[in-house]
Amino acid sequence: MANEQTNDGNASEATDAWRQVRDAWLENWAKVMVEAVNTDAYAKATGTLLDSYLTASGPVREAMEKVMLSLLAQLSMPSRADVLGVAERMTNIEMRLDDMDAKLDRIERLVSKSPMGTPAGRAKKRRQ
Amino acid sequence: MMLGAKAADSVTKFDERLMTLVEAMTTQAAIAQTPKGLLWALNKARLYRYVPVRPAGQRHPVPLLLVFALMNRPYIMDLRPGHSFVEFMLGRGYDVYLLDWGVPGPEDKNLKFDDYTLDYLPRAIRKMKAVSGAEEFSLLGWCIGAILVTVYAALRPDAGLRNLLLLTAPLDFSKPEKITFAHWVGERYFDVNKVLAAFGNMPGEMIDYGAKALKPVENYIGNYVKLCDSLENPKAVESWHAMNTWVTDNIPMAGATFRQLIVDLYRNDRLMKGTWMIRGERVDVSHIRANLFTLIAEADHITPPCQSETINERVESKDKELLRIPGGHIGIMAGSAAAKTTWPRIDQWLSARSRKLPRR
Repeated sequence: MANEQTNDGNASEATDAWRQVRDAWLENWAKVMVEAVNTDAYAKATGTLLDSYLTASGPVREAMEKVMLSLLAQLSMPSRADVLGVAERMTNIEMRLDDMDAKLDRIERLVSKSPMGTPAGRAKKRRQ
Repeated sequence: MMLGAKAADSVTKFDERLMTLVEAMTTQAAIAQTPKGLLWALNKARLYRYVPVRPAGQRHPVPLLLVFALMNRPYIMDLRPGHSFVEFMLGRGYDVYLLDWGVPGPEDKNLKFDDYTLDYLPRAIRKMKAVSGAEEFSLLGWCIGAILVTVYAALRPDAGLRNLLLLTAPLDFSKPEKITFAHWVGERYFDVNKVLAAFGNMPGEMIDYGAKALKPVENYIGNYVKLCDSLENPKAVESWHAMNTWVTDNIPMAGATFRQLIVDLYRNDRLMKGTWMIRGERVDVSHIRANLFTLIAEADHITPPCQSETINERVESKDKELLRIPGGHIGIMAGSAAAKTTWPRIDQWLSARSRKLPRR
């Protein structure tokens, strides 16, 4: 029993020690990396990588777009641009609806503030 | 025999830990659980009102609108039950509203800061005022959300804005040598037009990579090491799971807005120079008159403190305060210490300024 406890204790100590070493190593590595990503060389490298990707994929993307456009036209289906155009028009309609909602809110507020907006005010008007 | 039982026990424990690890890394946590109702919608934007938990007589009369960044989900403000800024503020008697910008689609690639600050935000505010019946309101902007509310406050100083709270606000770009992002997106190495010509909007994955690459070891390794170390602590796992759900839920940024962010702000510092034109109007931060509370995260690597330090000197507001809190960009509001440090400080400042003013 005592042996078992000693074994468990040793294992725990070993794990703690390993964690300390690991954390210290990670901390140092993190500092080095933060410094590295702050350099001009890193900015240049990522910029070059991104630029190369965009340059290489650009012609493929354009060709695909042309093929899709003609395919959709032949199938009498709306293109991506057509769908996007409809979506933009929907947003414009929503804007107009929101303008109307604002006007209605204003009217409602004015009506509720006027004497005619209250039941007592309406009864008074009827008596007149 | 004893050795066999011990081995079986170890295998079971290992199995349980593995299951917890896989579940935390591959599933979505139950987040944004505070009850709310939809009040208004325009395109992808949504305005929500959280269900108040205090009776009307015990609530602050000035409603609070939360505005988060454009390229992350706003539910970081309502992360999980028991650890939610929204829940905290409701408990303190605020009438809380949230503006969710939504996910821009390809049709939104031309949306600019102009649209967000002069179309979407004023309309959402109008609706909030109509619903709450309040003439004055408070705005809390966090990260890019802080840019949006700053621009709004400068361009519409008479719209009823009483309190302006800026959290980790990237407003001042005059010290590019202290801003890592500014290195990366400089004209020499980053062709913003080429990127947007290819993608339309700025992809969420690229923004996420940018944010994580600022601290690569912490984000790509340390984060998972931390999870492995806490697998036997259900609370820590729950917290990690919720945060990971938010961190991995990336959304794109409207192309034209991203271009403005890079060209007008990161490269030319137009906001603080007073040369930024938003729909033909010059944004002059000295027009801001609302009570101002600026909160800086001392260890912020996304928005270094130098980006938020100067705003208080530039505004016309008579009542202004700048507070520094130890922690990172997200940690100060969503970290485990936020409920004891940041949130009470926000409440303390805001509650004193959310009372009904005597009629003049």
